[in-house]
Amino acid sequence: MASASKKTRLHGWHTAHGANMADFGGYEMPLWYSSAKNEHLAVLTRAGTFDTSHMATVLVSGSEALDLLQLCFTNDLAACIGKDKKPLFPGRCVYGAFLNEQGQVIDDAIIFQIAEADYMVVVNAGMGAAIAGHLAAHKAVADIQITDLTDNLGKMDIQGPAAAKVMQKILASPEAVFDKMPYFSFKGHFNESGPGADAVRLTDGAPILLSRTGYTGEFGFELFTAPEHFVNLWETVLTAGEEFNLIACGLAARDSLRAGAVLPLSHQDIGPWPFVRHPWPFALPYSDDKTGFTKSFVGDQALLAAEDADYTLPFAGYDLRKVSLPAAVLDPDGKEIGTVLTCATDMAVGRCGEPIYSITSPDTPEDCKIKGLCCGFVKVGPPLSAGQEVTLKDARRRIKVRIQEDIRPNRTARIALKKMV
Amino acid sequence: MAKEISELTLQDDVRYAEDHEWAKKEGDTIKIGISDYAQDQLGDIVFVELPEVDSDLKKGDEFGTVESTKAVSELYMPLSGKVVAVNEALPDDPEQVNKDPYGGGWMIEIEPSDPAEFDAMMDKDAYLEMLKGL
Repeated sequence: MASASKKTRLHGWHTAHGANMADFGGYEMPLWYSSAKNEHLAVLTRAGTFDTSHMATVLVSGSEALDLLQLCFTNDLAACIGKDKKPLFPGRCVYGAFLNEQGQVIDDAIIFQIAEADYMVVVNAGMGAAIAGHLAAHKAVADIQITDLTDNLGKMDIQGPAAAKVMQKILASPEAVFDKMPYFSFKGHFNESGPGADAVRLTDGAPILLSRTGYTGEFGFELFTAPEHFVNLWETVLTAGEEFNLIACGLAARDSLRAGAVLPLSHQDIGPWPFVRHPWPFALPYSDDKTGFTKSFVGDQALLAAEDADYTLPFAGYDLRKVSLPAAVLDPDGKEIGTVLTCATDMAVGRCGEPIYSITSPDTPEDCKIKGLCCGFVKVGPPLSAGQEVTLKDARRRIKVRIQEDIRPNRTARIALKKMV
Repeated sequence: MAKEISELTLQDDVRYAEDHEWAKKEGDTIKIGISDYAQDQLGDIVFVELPEVDSDLKKGDEFGTVESTKAVSELYMPLSGKVVAVNEALPDDPEQVNKDPYGGGWMIEIEPSDPAEFDAMMDKDAYLEMLKGL
């Protein structure tokens, strides 16, 4: 099994550093190095790095590129930026999904607008060819280039409150890079010849695309670089991060961090069912009155017709006991109403009474001992509201959990960059 | 796996089961826990569920669960007996199972009902051979 998995360019580094490896999306990836818990906590209190080069990137360019993405992507690229719903513009990126005609998720993605007719679509591990193929199948004109960069791009994330301080040490002109760089914006390019490549360079001259995004809910960046610079970039970040106690983190911490941040895992929390009635309505182009969409796109009619679709809802338990999948969701009368999609442990949160506090919450009561909570997503028939209690049942145990509006409080992802340096 | 087999701590004075529990004779009773290999595979142990004292359990019965950040795993009796004590420190300090799997991370103490079951468990060398084959 493991021998059939692909390896990222950091595979040797991971195994040399004691990583516990496992297959994820067809790649042999680190689950954790010495402790998934410590890695999870490091991202909340200091900083952590993640090898995310198993993820796939597809470039879409040409005069009709915008039309093609508007047809295939759920978010409205003409109305997605800020409160005023301005169009996407170069240097900004946006989250959404690619659906089939049945309104089911093929994969989720972040689309980066690099230049006027030049987009970068970042999808999940192993999905590059599928999304490139999906886009090619929907292109009406010849003047669109679709390039699948799977395995030909280095990607790593640095996440946590010290992330900017670490990057400050290794960027050639950090002040210029950090100026006007809000959440979901980016600068630079991973190719020497790419547009804007001079905007972000390391002190050794290597160009990177630096994006204020991530998958942890915490402050930080995603870094894209040419494959030949990738291992060096990883080691440079780790060395620069030593004084901040930055550590390398595996996919277990990534999963528990994203679950607490109410972010979906593609093919687990979103998948072959209609992409509606979930905690991510911002990924859909709802009109102001929420009755329709601001554009038409592949799958839109199926979504509008999905009147009996299930509800996907975040939950958190009362302690850190989990259920193993498959697991059912029972209502207070013991009736089965759905299934558990994700059940992870956010080690940085705990309940004191009903409210959830994080180890970073400034208002945690003194007698509140934070030990971690099980959390994740359920998919249920009835429209439960936050605060309602359900029971999760697997082959072994039943645990009571609460439907939540949000899980881990005091997340740092959106904090202004200038406050973090 | 994180630890190479050569890096594992495998004590000489305990016997091992195929499910990676260990058993150690202490006078008339036997202490039971999980091996260094098992804790290393599980990752951070965050919760341990143990049986009631006085439970009568047969070899192969589930006696509790260990929950790591990765998964929930059953614990199986490596031999039959009556539970005379459980490690009361584990609920508050489950990390002991990671830090000291053969010491502070012990789980239950039993009065064995069939001493031959202990003698049939693997010694260190046999367990090591089994791990090499995994």
